[in-house]
Amino acid sequence: MIRTIKENADSWQSGMAKNITFIVTKDCQLACKYCYLVGKNVKERMPWEVAKTFIGYVLDHETDPDFAYESVVWDFIGGEPFLEIELIDKICDYIKTELFRRNHHWFNSYRFSFSTNGINYHEKAVQDFIKKNRDHLSIGITIDGTEKKHDLNRVYKITEKGSYKDVVKNIPLWLEQFPGGGTKVTISSADIPYITESVLHLYSLGIHEVNINVVFEDVWQEGDDLKFEEQLMQLADEIIDGGYYQDYACSFFSEHIGKPQDPERDNQNWCGAGKMLSVDAAGNLYPCTRFAQYSLRDKETWVIGNIRDGIDKNKLRPFLTLDRTTQSKPECISCEVASGCAWCQGENYDAAQTHTVFERATAICKMHKARVRANNYYWNKLYRKLELEDLREQYEANKREVKPKIC
Amino acid sequence: MLQYLVILLDDTSVAYCHANNPLKERHLMPLETLKKGILFGMKQNLMIQYVFPDYALPEEYASVIESIDNVKIYPIGCMPVTGINDGSEADVEVTNAVPEKVEAKNLVLRLTFSEMLKQKDAIAKLFSSGARINLCITDVEQFTDEQIETYKQVLNEWNAALLDLYKQSQSPQFNLLTDRMMLEKMHNCEAGVSNITLAPNGKFYLCPAFYYDEQMKVFNQMNHHNPSSDNSVGDLEKGVDIPNPQLLQLDHAPLCRNCDAYQCRRCIWLNRRLTWDNNTPSHQQCVMAHLERNASRDLLNDIRKVGEFMPNIDIKEINYLDPFDVRKEL
Repeated sequence: MIRTIKENADSWQSGMAKNITFIVTKDCQLACKYCYLVGKNVKERMPWEVAKTFIGYVLDHETDPDFAYESVVWDFIGGEPFLEIELIDKICDYIKTELFRRNHHWFNSYRFSFSTNGINYHEKAVQDFIKKNRDHLSIGITIDGTEKKHDLNRVYKITEKGSYKDVVKNIPLWLEQFPGGGTKVTISSADIPYITESVLHLYSLGIHEVNINVVFEDVWQEGDDLKFEEQLMQLADEIIDGGYYQDYACSFFSEHIGKPQDPERDNQNWCGAGKMLSVDAAGNLYPCTRFAQYSLRDKETWVIGNIRDGIDKNKLRPFLTLDRTTQSKPECISCEVASGCAWCQGENYDAAQTHTVFERATAICKMHKARVRANNYYWNKLYRKLELEDLREQYEANKREVKPKIC
Repeated sequence: MLQYLVILLDDTSVAYCHANNPLKERHLMPLETLKKGILFGMKQNLMIQYVFPDYALPEEYASVIESIDNVKIYPIGCMPVTGINDGSEADVEVTNAVPEKVEAKNLVLRLTFSEMLKQKDAIAKLFSSGARINLCITDVEQFTDEQIETYKQVLNEWNAALLDLYKQSQSPQFNLLTDRMMLEKMHNCEAGVSNITLAPNGKFYLCPAFYYDEQMKVFNQMNHHNPSSDNSVGDLEKGVDIPNPQLLQLDHAPLCRNCDAYQCRRCIWLNRRLTWDNNTPSHQQCVMAHLERNASRDLLNDIRKVGEFMPNIDIKEINYLDPFDVRKEL
């Protein structure tokens, strides 16, 4: 069996990792209805020379504070990244060669990371790549739940046919190669009724870690919060009554959410935009892929440089000085259930009244509060059950929790 | 709270700050707009600051302009041809070249960094004019770290000239070096906070530079919820409507709110131009302001060797020029 990235994680997970993203293509087989990538196209495929020049730029700046991280995650994103598997393979070979040739401190302290729709996961080129890079690889396949829930949004771009069947057939192979693999589920307004059955379905497929979040965009209808709360309470009952809490995790439920936050002590930014670096096919650099034009509905792109001239550090300063309170409305700062309420810096920028990253979008406010209510129910019910069964201490010692993913 | 209304009487009104005025065609503010602007200022209790072009205004403007207490900002030497012959003086004269003498109470001297270097001795001679000298560098974005030592040296030379005047019991005023010695808190431009600009088109802007940019199509619109507004933040019919006004305030500027370069202009136009966010200054702005702050500290210490001076002011020694570099410690 292929060893998993988790087994090899100690060498780099203990330190901070720089996240560097190649937008290798803006094309995808799918046209997911909730996708924030409004400008996908088949034309913008990354040329090899752009990738090579970018890698040279990054590695030339080993001692620059912006790159002075112990480790690195080379992230490949699209569209669908595996549409460009040949280019990716060439990029990864070049990175490894250059890290070795330069005796770079990231040598043996790197990973290649992918988030894929899973459609061509089984193909030979992808499988060959996985075998070649198995010790430094992290791959997540996105499957949204039941066939009905998945196909509600994740449809092919021309036929609008659901993609579930083409994805689910690759899940066993993926889990064999990445037994601890987690999936990412996105919830939009129309998905709410299917949350419980979808999470349970993913568990039944053998996926133990379900990272799930509501979209940040302003898509929510009146009453969605109550429907969401009801679904999460049903899910809580199923997880607790079915004993899933022992071996499975769902990121909706966390003991750390729903608490007030101190304006000074808990003032850090949620998002990693600006600490990350993304490059597109034209060689433009971004603080995160969400600031590339294909991700933005209403605003112009926020380019921080290019592979030839490097990073204009002035354009990074707003991102690196962001804190929670400066960008939050007064009601968010004083909110009694503030912790765990996330935001996306790109969506904040796209939805802002002015050209700024300092205006926090609050479209998920009611949804977060609904989540907190259900989350409180979950923990109260679970702990009472464990106490009655005298299993609380055992649970505390072995509990598994999905940490909120901060992008 | 708004306190000042800047009225650009013409598209070619003189630029008096960092931004150059690229508008070359005359477009006089209609008299009715001017009257409405003055009325707005009176009702909002705002001090009016007129910014004049370099040509004589039609006679009928004179009485309207003087219908309210005001401050006048002129291109240097142009006051006699403005058509306003009420015997008053220009409050602020603006020039892009070092003048031989200064007539007004305030002189705004707008120079590029290299022009400033060439003219540093001539600038020093102005300190004894009795006028307040405001030096404004018009190409801040071009300043590099390689020029730090050069700027430091020039500031030192100006300090020596200022110290001589203090020793002669004079009180020269030079914005870059003497302001910080007098300040106990931030004293910045405050565009959109304490002042707002009315352009000849009858619309409000955070400052003249945002109007220039709109006319030159430099930036996309200021207010994304009202795309037709371009860079404007209201008009005389609807009043001032600034989106995200909190982001113009000091407490919403993470780098500035803990900074003690109190004399810094905190130019939000430069912020936006160089970092793309109104509340975040560029490296160049911070470094230049800190070189001036540190030189002010030296001047204050030197003056105190001669006698007691501003005993309540304490400018601490610091080991950075850009607060961004020590942002986690601040």
